[in-house]
Amino acid sequence: MTNLGHFITLCATILSAHAIYEDQVGKFDWKRSFIGKVKHAQFDTKRLIVTTHENIIASLSPKTGEIQWRQLMEDPQEHQPQLLHLDKDAVTVSGGKSRFYVRGWDAPTGSLLWEWPLVLDRPGDSFWLLQGDLLVHVLAIKGSHMEVTQFSVKTGEVRAKTRKIPETWVSGDKCVTANPYFVCVFNGQLFWLDVVNEGGRASSQPIQGGPDCNLLEFDGPKPAVLLVRQNSAKIVELGGAVLPHEVAPNAVSIGSSVFQLEANLDNLDKLVRVKSFDLVSGRESSVEIDYPLGLGGPYIVSGQCRGPACELLLSSTDHALTLVRLPEGRVSWTREEALSNIISVEFFELPVSDLEASIETEFTDNDVITMFTRRISTQTKQLVNLVSGQFGSTRDDFGLHRIIVVATAVGKLFGIDTLRNGSIVWTYRLPNVKPVMLLVQRTARHAPLPAQCVLLAQDVTTGGGVLFAFDPISGESRGLDRLSYRIKQAFVAPNEDEEHLKPVIVIGADDSVRVFPERGPKTVAYVYTIDQSLVQGYRLEPDGLKPVWNLNLGVCDLVGVSTRPVTERVHSQGRVLHDRSVHYKYVNPNLIALATLSEDPVHKSVLNVFLVDGVTGFVVYSTSHKKAKGPVHLVHSENWLVYTFFNERFRRTEIVATELYEGSIQSNSTVFSSFAISQLPEVKTESYILPANPVSMSVTLTERGITNKFLLVGTSSGSVVEIPWMLLQPRFADMPCGPEESCFPYMPEIAIPPEATINYNQTLARIRKIAVAPAKLESTSHVLVHGLDLFYTRVAPSKTFDLLKEDFDHRLIVLVLVGLVVASYVTKYLAAKKALRQAWK
Amino acid sequence: MLKILTLPCFLFIIRSSLASNLEHDGWANIKLEHCLVPSASPVFTERGNITIQSLRLGQAIVKQNPLTEQEKNQLRDLAAKNQFYQIRSTVVASDGAENTFLSTIKACMLAESELDDKLSVSLDYTGRVIGVTLLIASSSTCEGAFVPLSKLKQFTTHVYVRHSDVGPIPNTQSYIEKLEREKEARERGEVKDNRSILAKYWMYIVPVVILLMVSSMANPEAAAGNGGGAGR
Repeated sequence: MTNLGHFITLCATILSAHAIYEDQVGKFDWKRSFIGKVKHAQFDTKRLIVTTHENIIASLSPKTGEIQWRQLMEDPQEHQPQLLHLDKDAVTVSGGKSRFYVRGWDAPTGSLLWEWPLVLDRPGDSFWLLQGDLLVHVLAIKGSHMEVTQFSVKTGEVRAKTRKIPETWVSGDKCVTANPYFVCVFNGQLFWLDVVNEGGRASSQPIQGGPDCNLLEFDGPKPAVLLVRQNSAKIVELGGAVLPHEVAPNAVSIGSSVFQLEANLDNLDKLVRVKSFDLVSGRESSVEIDYPLGLGGPYIVSGQCRGPACELLLSSTDHALTLVRLPEGRVSWTREEALSNIISVEFFELPVSDLEASIETEFTDNDVITMFTRRISTQTKQLVNLVSGQFGSTRDDFGLHRIIVVATAVGKLFGIDTLRNGSIVWTYRLPNVKPVMLLVQRTARHAPLPAQCVLLAQDVTTGGGVLFAFDPISGESRGLDRLSYRIKQAFVAPNEDEEHLKPVIVIGADDSVRVFPERGPKTVAYVYTIDQSLVQGYRLEPDGLKPVWNLNLGVCDLVGVSTRPVTERVHSQGRVLHDRSVHYKYVNPNLIALATLSEDPVHKSVLNVFLVDGVTGFVVYSTSHKKAKGPVHLVHSENWLVYTFFNERFRRTEIVATELYEGSIQSNSTVFSSFAISQLPEVKTESYILPANPVSMSVTLTERGITNKFLLVGTSSGSVVEIPWMLLQPRFADMPCGPEESCFPYMPEIAIPPEATINYNQTLARIRKIAVAPAKLESTSHVLVHGLDLFYTRVAPSKTFDLLKEDFDHRLIVLVLVGLVVASYVTKYLAAKKALRQAWK
Repeated sequence: MLKILTLPCFLFIIRSSLASNLEHDGWANIKLEHCLVPSASPVFTERGNITIQSLRLGQAIVKQNPLTEQEKNQLRDLAAKNQFYQIRSTVVASDGAENTFLSTIKACMLAESELDDKLSVSLDYTGRVIGVTLLIASSSTCEGAFVPLSKLKQFTTHVYVRHSDVGPIPNTQSYIEKLEREKEARERGEVKDNRSILAKYWMYIVPVVILLMVSSMANPEAAAGNGGGAGR
């Protein structure tokens, strides 16, 4: 019990200090919410209801574009929104293949009003129609028939029994709905059938154009469809005529007007033009809009008109959402929805101010006159800055102001300011590429040389590698390299050239090696590649790649690979034991952690974890967990590895900590070499129950590694909790463990107190990854949690021991100091006076 | 030479009926080849043969030929040029599966250790070989010592079969036992009282304090008289 008491007090002292106070909310953290690429949108008087490809329904403010409410539905990998209808309430149908959910939402608040599921017996192409409170589901079985079922939208009660309509023209992929008809194009003819009112007969109409024409929905005043051929479309009114207007495939009708977008090449400031014409009066108009530069090609999602004033909602190829007001052609707001799917994150320090940079270059020349003029110009600049009071975005003393560069899945790069609530500093769009990762070639430390970063990407069409170099601070391009081959492996070599640029080494699928920039220094490095279960190690020599080791992990799924962060520094070489002796850590910078899941006839699935030396291929440690299931998350730092998995036998998530020690003697203490193995590392392991469902895991990183380590665990409930590494660190079996040894007694379950949640009450939707970077302040790490939301904060695992508290009383200190100085002078004077008087006596 | 070649075949016939996993204790045969001439496409020559009779116990029979004069010279040259010595091991397991593994070390380390090397055979949890690595036990890389040719006679290889550990599970049992022990101890009153002195002995301290107060109040004159006396 005493131990438990100690433990609680220790917990209280360590953990409680990390919660923030109420008045600190939003002081050093910010959150930005996203919804993803918009699929359907409907206008209301006060709001704009959208469903997105992330399987989300949200309400946006038409004035500002802010999210009024947002509701997450099932996993977007399998479920997609199928229908959105806004009447009094918003009705959605979402799902995929054979399972659908019909839901009603209260439009002002976003609360769920009703919901019912629909499970189909057989897969097919589903189409949905809503008329009044009648929901019609059309299941198209290609080339055979269709099944039409009518439901009451609120209850799911079947109104009319499923009708099987044998029609050979049901083609599935070339069918749309046009209330109340179901329309298909087949064999050069347009077929349609009224599916809402029973007893309707299929009608048909011949159309001109070959088999390559396609159908698109068109929400006109009369039931109509868009017949698309190559890049132009015609409006076909069902039962009526083909309208003579040649329209673009992205044409949208609002009321009786048809709107479409066109590229405007006449005016380079306004690249997009909205053309509209009235179907009734035939009146045409055209408005140039000041579409923001840097956004991808737009198309109209939806719109509304009140008299002559219209609002058009545009989405673009880079998933940006824009609201345009007509007839002014003014853009009201833009939402960068690309940020809802981030691939890679890097943190960049800001450059030093011009002033400091000029001081640094002051003594580079030997010429006295240039030095003198430079000094004069620097001082004038200093004076100008002092007078104008402008300092711009330059580096701060503690490195807390950073630019976060993110690469998104659509191929758009963003520079985000860590201060100023995560405002976007710059964007850069690369069309048709799929980003893989960001590589840092040069940081901003080498003034006056600017920082440089490389985006490694894959071409969407050819699959070839793409290297895009840019300035991470300003977002300016430094050149794009398109390779003709696929990239197998790429990394940044550690040695810099004379311009402090670290070369990027790219290994092609054909084992060819290229260095960017090409004049970069030649390096010897060890590289590994993983092809399913074959792990292959190479030595990179100036004349090419040489295989040096290989492993065969057998038939398995590779579920995790983790290496230590390149910038990580290990401050303490050992752990001090209770008898004041040192147990040295096995700190191997070349260690790779691998996790595989393999099928087993007896134990269902088995998790294998390997620690492999990347230079020699030596399996330093391997372990296996039977009846284990994914998701597996690996974190590898210093001399330890932490992983989580789901234990199927006990039905719980377990977290395992593994630590490697050299023992009481440190071998190769000066320079570490993977080739020199004098003894096998001593492995300590400990396992715990984690009362949460982790979706992502990361570890804090500080400048010099003095600060304690915290694990950051993103959970499926939308919180990010910090777990001190001390809680997980394996205990020595035969040694005392208590507050004196700064050791927590073993507890099989990791307690997650609510104050350990770094995002306090701001739930983060669908967390994907947690990116961490050190600040210049040793105690602090930057943390960016990304998923559907972006959340940035700073964490200080050992509290901010190197910072004065905010409520530090400077005035009192100054007062006391001044008082002491004055008092000392007064006493000095008095003492002198007394001494004089004594002398006269 | 013939003997070495026939050995694996012989073993294969005997053991092929057994399953390869650890529960049934399989065996493995490793054919070792090495490359003594650095080139872009390495040529491997025969080095020896290792038979691990029992993967569970890790017993191994090592058969390696003494180095020829030419091989000695080649190895010395490799070491002198700080090149790499590479081995290729072909593993035939008891279920007939064949795998080839590469491993590379610094030639000078091999020479300085006087051909005393270690072969680590890593197994997964089923007892399948996942990797074969050649190691030299040393606390530093090459020291640049001169090694005479007479010391480069024959490999003295030690084989280490390394099994996969069984992963730890949360130790709830002993924790619950510990809690119960503490509970029992508390019930028996054996638990150490770590309250402060005040909390523990307040029932003695309070009467004493009250007594003192009462006595000082009952005798105010004496106190006042004393005070007056001092003032005078």
